[in-house]
Amino acid sequence: MNKLRGKRLLPLLVILAAGGTQAQFTVSIFDQGSPFNREVGSLMLITAGFSLIVFIGMIWAIIHVIVKGRKHEGEEPPQFSGNNRLEATLFAVPVLIVIILFVATIETIGDIDFHSQPENALVVEVTGYQYWWDFVYRETGVRTANELVVPVGRPVYFEMTSADVIHSFWVPNLGGKTDTIPGQTTRMHLSADRPGVYYGQCTELCGPSHANMRLRVIAVPEEEFEAWLRGAQNFTPVITGASAQQGQQVFQAQCASCHAVKGTNAQGVIGPDLSFMGERTTIGSGVWPNTPENMKAWISDSPGMKPGSKMTAFPNLTTQQLDDLVAYLDSLRTENYPDLALVEE
Amino acid sequence: MAIAAPPAPRPSIWTWIWDILTTVDHKKIGLMYSAASLASLGIAGILSLLIRWQLAVPNNTFLTGTAYNQILTIHGAMMLFFFILQAGIAGFGNFIVPLMLGAHDVALPRINAFSFWAFLGAVFLVFASVFTGGAPAVGWTFYYPLSQYENTGVSLFMAGILLLGISSLLSGANFLATIYNLRSAGMGLWQMPMYVWSIFAASLLNVFTLAGLTAASLITLMDSRFNLTLFDPALGGDPLLFQQFFWFYSHPTVYVMLLPYLGILAEVASTFARKPLFGYRYMVYAQLGIVALGMIVWAHHMFTVGESEIFQTIFIITTAAIAVPTGIKLFNLLGTLWGGHLNFKTPLYWLLGFLATFTVGGISGVTLALVPFDYQVHDTYYIVAHFHNVLMGGSAFAVFAGLYYWWPKFTGKMYDEKLGKAHFWFFFIGFWITFLPQYALGFLGMPRRYYTYPDGNYLWNDLNMISTVGAMLLGIGGVIWVWAMVKSLFWGEKAPDNPWGGTTLEWATSSPPPSYNFAVSWPKTFSTERPLYDWKKQGLEPAPINPASIHMPNPSYWPVVTALGLFLFLLALSTAANLAWLLPGAILTMYGLFNWAAEPEYSHPVEHHTLSGKSNAWMGMAWFIVSEVGLFAILIAGYLYLRLSGAAVVPETRPGLWLALINTFFLVASSFAVHYAHHDLRRGETSPFRFGLLLSIILGIIFLMVQSYEFATQYGHMTWEENLWVAAFFLIVGLHGLHVLIGGTGLALSYYQAMKGRISAHSDGTLEAGSMYWHLVDAVWLLIVLIFYVW
Repeated sequence: MNKLRGKRLLPLLVILAAGGTQAQFTVSIFDQGSPFNREVGSLMLITAGFSLIVFIGMIWAIIHVIVKGRKHEGEEPPQFSGNNRLEATLFAVPVLIVIILFVATIETIGDIDFHSQPENALVVEVTGYQYWWDFVYRETGVRTANELVVPVGRPVYFEMTSADVIHSFWVPNLGGKTDTIPGQTTRMHLSADRPGVYYGQCTELCGPSHANMRLRVIAVPEEEFEAWLRGAQNFTPVITGASAQQGQQVFQAQCASCHAVKGTNAQGVIGPDLSFMGERTTIGSGVWPNTPENMKAWISDSPGMKPGSKMTAFPNLTTQQLDDLVAYLDSLRTENYPDLALVEE
Repeated sequence: MAIAAPPAPRPSIWTWIWDILTTVDHKKIGLMYSAASLASLGIAGILSLLIRWQLAVPNNTFLTGTAYNQILTIHGAMMLFFFILQAGIAGFGNFIVPLMLGAHDVALPRINAFSFWAFLGAVFLVFASVFTGGAPAVGWTFYYPLSQYENTGVSLFMAGILLLGISSLLSGANFLATIYNLRSAGMGLWQMPMYVWSIFAASLLNVFTLAGLTAASLITLMDSRFNLTLFDPALGGDPLLFQQFFWFYSHPTVYVMLLPYLGILAEVASTFARKPLFGYRYMVYAQLGIVALGMIVWAHHMFTVGESEIFQTIFIITTAAIAVPTGIKLFNLLGTLWGGHLNFKTPLYWLLGFLATFTVGGISGVTLALVPFDYQVHDTYYIVAHFHNVLMGGSAFAVFAGLYYWWPKFTGKMYDEKLGKAHFWFFFIGFWITFLPQYALGFLGMPRRYYTYPDGNYLWNDLNMISTVGAMLLGIGGVIWVWAMVKSLFWGEKAPDNPWGGTTLEWATSSPPPSYNFAVSWPKTFSTERPLYDWKKQGLEPAPINPASIHMPNPSYWPVVTALGLFLFLLALSTAANLAWLLPGAILTMYGLFNWAAEPEYSHPVEHHTLSGKSNAWMGMAWFIVSEVGLFAILIAGYLYLRLSGAAVVPETRPGLWLALINTFFLVASSFAVHYAHHDLRRGETSPFRFGLLLSIILGIIFLMVQSYEFATQYGHMTWEENLWVAAFFLIVGLHGLHVLIGGTGLALSYYQAMKGRISAHSDGTLEAGSMYWHLVDAVWLLIVLIFYVW
């Protein structure tokens, strides 16, 4: 999947790709797999054309000046001080370019209509927190964090705000970013043409862990999405196994004041909703893979792993308690979570 | 023709320090500014190497979290506020502009010294944060409400910016007054060297727009310290209003960071191509076009905050359009070199490097006007690459062009061409290796201000590593630069008066120039911007005069004392737990001001002849008032927005109109009193003059007493923490009250001068400026009555 996307990059980046590493994500605004980026792509082609003309013109002139100027070091050159016709041309040409770019931009803005709600859109409420993302599917009320499952081909309309400082929500392969602002609602819509796991992140400096406020958008075919959402909507955890059951009790005692798990007594709203934690591919807002080791390290010392993390460290939990907690969290899965291996390849 | 200064015995270190502390010589002040700003470049440059070191590899742990953000903030703040906004303007400008005008000094020499010390105070305030709980970690943009969450050092940072603002305004007003008043007789505006024009344009932008930064930093400071704010969403305030204020200054200011440097490059181009400027008038028009357009492009920094598309469209037009005058400047620089016989010295290398580099930065700037594209690249490494492209590969290259160009004039020593060129090549190549990959990183989705990044995103590792290698080349270039300067200072050859064949007046005196600059009377004919070239063709020559007949202003330590007072005051305002600590600074400031006012500027009575016919004090104050009008305009615009959008609701208990009307009477009456007092002074009627002045001061004091009563009553009913309108009331009406206090101090200074016999019909600068300021305070009050008491 990612290799495939790599091939669609503009030639410039293909050249840069020589010597590139094995990619985890091919994050790129040139990814043509979204309506937004296709529109911007054509705008950029026009711009790149003009830019190239201006750039080559300037470089040619600089070289010309150097080559000619080298010949007569010493004597006084002709003392001319201007040329009105040339000035007029050099005024008119940029004005013309600016007008063309302006018209093209206005058209693109109209075509994208970034901040309006498209018909048939899936509405997701986004709240930025230091340093994680809260998502609520409006129609169903399903709440999740940091990893957002969306249907392929259907626009997703984001209504966004922030609980603390200003953040900015950005998934480069799907389109532009919009800031999330405390006390205000900002809006935008994105849409993915192809299934895939898309890398996203915060793009407005929001504190020490600004760089650790990542997210994933997981685009899956419409049917799979609907199946997952139904499962999520009706979710009640089924806890089997002694360890997981122990873990639930630890969770209830230690974690529930901040975290919620759907269908249980844990209804804290300070931290991310952990209802489907077993399905998540990452922890710490998209930073570490969701493995038992990472999870245990995270619970024991979240601020140590992630500067400024608001989650307290739990150094006093025993190894057994940690194992139980991890078992419990891992058991929190819906019935119909899409197979990401299939999505990615 | 140069008159060498008499050889002085080598002064002791204490004489040297005393000289620095008390000098009012524009050249020394210019060098002090230059040294401080170039030191800032050095320090901020080293910080940037730390940043690149951290980012060389993914998941690095060299500099993380808050520490990284602190380094980032200090890097940005120092580079912008203390380096690029100072070096080419207050630094080189102070030294060169009066020389280019053929003048002996700037219009207001002691104010100039004060500006420098206030600037240095601002640097110290920002650095003080390192020792009082940590440097700010909010980026140089200190966005709201992040500034209230990560608040280490924010108060001191804000105080530093406020003090820097005072410094920049006085410096800008001083330049404008100098350029208006002190041109050599016969030098019309259209015969001024392009560098002078560019300082003029940059100063205009500064006085017009600095208010935005003052408003943003003042409210941030008030919020941090007293919870007095217009931005807090919990109170109905708008965090975006902060951004409007901030960018209203901070975008125009990038042209303050550019225009002077384009001016330097114009001088370099003309000198090293040995030709007149190509399209002189177009360059001036382009510059003024940049000033005008520069003030209406700010919102392109805010395209991603979800503003309406109509609002955005306006700023698309202006942002794209400003490329046109900027392009004209570039074309004309090229046109000046075109057909020239180039003298390949180091400054010319920097100019050619600038043209190549800045073109790319300019183009990438235009792309930011393309809103949907901006939605993508905003706040990414594309932006980092773009602004380093225009500031580092642009303005900073021009700083070096100017530094090497004027180095012989500054120091009296020649530098080593080989070292200068090596410095250039390391910087030119290093620049591209550092920043070209960053454009690509932006396309590949890497946001700016990240202390870390995941391992293995497509090309992120590689491009970051390349960028770091480039930064190391820049570091090597920096070492070569320092070595080039040190070598020249200690072992450099003595510089001739005019090593490059320059054609502007700074080359018509010794290197370095004597304290009085020139002991000549200039020919009255100025045909073009190249007087030395023209005079040679026309057979004109400056006529020597006796240097003893030139009177220079006396050194004074009161500017530095006053600045120290203000520094202490702001230090206490931003850090002290007990506000009684405000007193020492306030008292020292007043002590400095009053002694300053009482001290004669010249030992001999000097008649000033100014080109405009207005006194230097009038001219300086006029420009200062423009900036004050701007400050109230921007705050009131913010208030109107909050009021009209329904966010600020007038509470039941509000200050009564009747008290305000009584106060209006006092203030208006005092304006008349001061007007007639000034009249009496000019007619030499001393007693009525002093009576009138005293009356105005007393009326001002009554006004403040009534207002204090009103504030206390209002605070008793409802505080600014409860209601946004009340917050706006205390902020804006309170700020006006502060201006009454400042204006009253100005009048009191005049009265003190009268007591000391320092004021006369011909030497009335303080009163003239003071009464102008008083009328301004009065006019603003009338508006305030209307929008805060009547409405």
